[in-house]
This record gives sequence, structure tokens and C-alpha cells, in this order.
Amino acid sequence: MKLRILLADDHEIVRRGLCSLLQKHDGWEVCGEASDGREALEMAKQLKPDVVIVDIGMPYLNGLDTTRQLLQHDPHFKVIVLTITDSDQVIREALDAGARGFVLKSDAARDLVAAVEALQSKRMFFTPRVNDLVLAGFLDKGHAISRNEPPSLPTLTVREREVTQLLAEGKSSKEVATLLNLSTKTVETHRSNIMRKLSLHSIRDLVVYAIKNNIIQIQMPPQLRTTPPETTLA
Amino acid sequence: MKPKGATEPQRVVCTELPRRAEDFMAVRILLVDDHPIVRQGLRTLLEGRPGWEVVGEASDGLEALDKVESLQPDVVVLDVTMPRMNGLEACRLIQGKRKDSGLEVLFVTQHDSPQMMREALDAGARGYVVKSNAARDLLEAVEAVSQHRLFTALARSPQALW
Repeated sequence: MKLRILLADDHEIVRRGLCSLLQKHDGWEVCGEASDGREALEMAKQLKPDVVIVDIGMPYLNGLDTTRQLLQHDPHFKVIVLTITDSDQVIREALDAGARGFVLKSDAARDLVAAVEALQSKRMFFTPRVNDLVLAGFLDKGHAISRNEPPSLPTLTVREREVTQLLAEGKSSKEVATLLNLSTKTVETHRSNIMRKLSLHSIRDLVVYAIKNNIIQIQMPPQLRTTPPETTLA
Repeated sequence: MKPKGATEPQRVVCTELPRRAEDFMAVRILLVDDHPIVRQGLRTLLEGRPGWEVVGEASDGLEALDKVESLQPDVVVLDVTMPRMNGLEACRLIQGKRKDSGLEVLFVTQHDSPQMMREALDAGARGYVVKSNAARDLLEAVEAVSQHRLFTALARSPQALW
């Protein structure tokens, strides 16, 4: 029987590339493709894939919270996280969320097949930098990984994390309520709880918090011209 | 159904040239992106089109300059943010060197921004497509620019460029 893989990435062109890579392997099939975290959760519950590959920077529900919710639903899910950065914080969050594989997007063409093979053999797969960090933590009696910064979102519930991402993406309380099938009043209660717990005072503070804690990711442009074009944008 | 007041994303396609049999000619394409997995996705999409050939790949602007010289493609599909030399700089240099060769540059980028689109067109590109919509827009865009027509499409709500 073939190994069934669910892919979640918001870029169809990336999913095409990943599919093409994974389907070269005779014993594997991509059983589904999701374009955001919420869709990935629904598809995983329905399709019960052997391996789930999730991009971290997805809209509506990011890959780390998707991983947390998947494993909360069924701890047997095997998740590989795809990421554009292997910063200490992202590594900590991915390990904390329960990912068994951690692959840099830039190295996916080289590492993803090895990562899926590792999970298939009930092993884990991490980039060398993750291994170094984990080893440093072990040698330092487990303190190195957690001593510098407290874990992010220490006090938020799963629902509050979802609401945080959607608000930081610019959605109104009403839009969040529709997306999560809640009443607007419930969303507003979540919103004020989030602000209180995190000591934030505005949506701007919330957006900054969400970026700093990898709840949403932003794309930095290369250096643009300092002089604006003469024709103004309408 | 779209909510009331929703607007279609801005897409600009110049269609002055009539469709002719020779419009469906072979197109030789160079792919430039620093992520191999993105290049793979673009390649599978482009090679599904009869007559189109991905003649080479490059992972940054400098490599793209070399490959433009050695492979002489008809269309360069170019990312903006890349190591060593970004796509805007590469585009300026490519167009400077190959001004009269008929080569066209099409940007495929994550930057869903009118300002970046203007930068790209000012650098000499003939097309601009946002990566999140590449699967929808890329074939039409390559077809347009290979016939020296303008193709631009942002994913966000419209903001007039001109």
C-alpha cells in the first residue's frame, strides 16, 4: 500500500513543485492538497494521511498552530514542517508543536524526500541547525533551548491563537466570527482576553506581536529606489 | 458569490496584436528563482504547454546573466528577491545588454505591490505576475510577453497604475 501524503502550502506553484518531487517516488502518493491551515486540518481529519507536510507561513491558520491542532486531534499524525527560516525561535516552536520533521523550503528539493523516508521508518528528520540546537540544550542540561526567551504565546488557548492570527491578518471581529463559526460577541471577548493577557493596547501592537512570534510572516522587499517614480499612483 | 462591492484583481493585458498561427510558436524559457522547489513547480506548469521549452534554470541574478548569454532564451521568468543579485538589477543588466534581441523578461514574485510592479516595468520587464496566482496567470503571461505584449496582474484589489 502506498504512503499517503497531504500537502499544505498557500502557493499552488510550490505545491506543484512538491507534488512533482514526491510523486517521483513509486511508493508514495499525494492524497490531498490544502492551501491554508484550516483546510489542512479538515482534509487531514477526513483523509487520514500517513504524513502531513505543512508550510509555516499560511493564511487563516499558520503551520505551527495547524501542527498543534492536528496532534491535539490525533497524536498519531506525523507532521513535517516546511519553513523559510531556521531561527532558534521557529525551531523551538516547531519542536514544541510536535513536528517530527523540519525542512527549510530552500532545501526542500534536497531534503524533503529524506524527511518523508525518515518518518516512514519511524525516525525524525531535522536540519543540521536543529540538531545542533537540541544537542546544545542536552549538553546544557536542557536549559539552552528555553533559557533566553520564554516560549511564545505562553498563556493563549488554541482558539485565542487562531483569533490572534486572523486579527493580525487584518480581519474584523465580524469576519473572524464568520470564519470560526462564532458569534461576534464571543470573538470580541477573545479579543479583549488576548489583549489583556499579552498586555497589548492596540491592533497595531497585536500585529507586531504576531510578526515577532511567527504567527504571521511578512515579505521584505529588496531595496527599492529611494526617489519615488515621478508619476504618482492613483 | 462575491460580496457586494468586491472588486476583481487588476489584470492588464495588451491585445493589440491579432492571434495568428505563428503566435503559437515555440518559446524558449529561462527560469530564475532561488528556490529549486519553486522552479520545479514553474517548470511542470510551463512544460505542459506544447512547443514551450524550459532551456535552463538559474538560482540568482548573476547566474541568470550568464545563462541569458549562453542559452539565448526568448523569455526570462525572473524572481525579485534572490541572493547575490536581485531580479530588478538582473533585469536592468539583461535589457541593457540584449536590448534589440527581442528577449522579454517576466517577473514572478511574492511582492503583491503596485510599487514593485512599477519598479519591474521601469527595469525593462514586459510582464509581472504574483507568485500566489502564478498557476492561474503564468501561461497567459508567457504567451503575451513572448509576443511582446504587456501582461501585469496583482492579486490584491486594484490600484490604477496609470
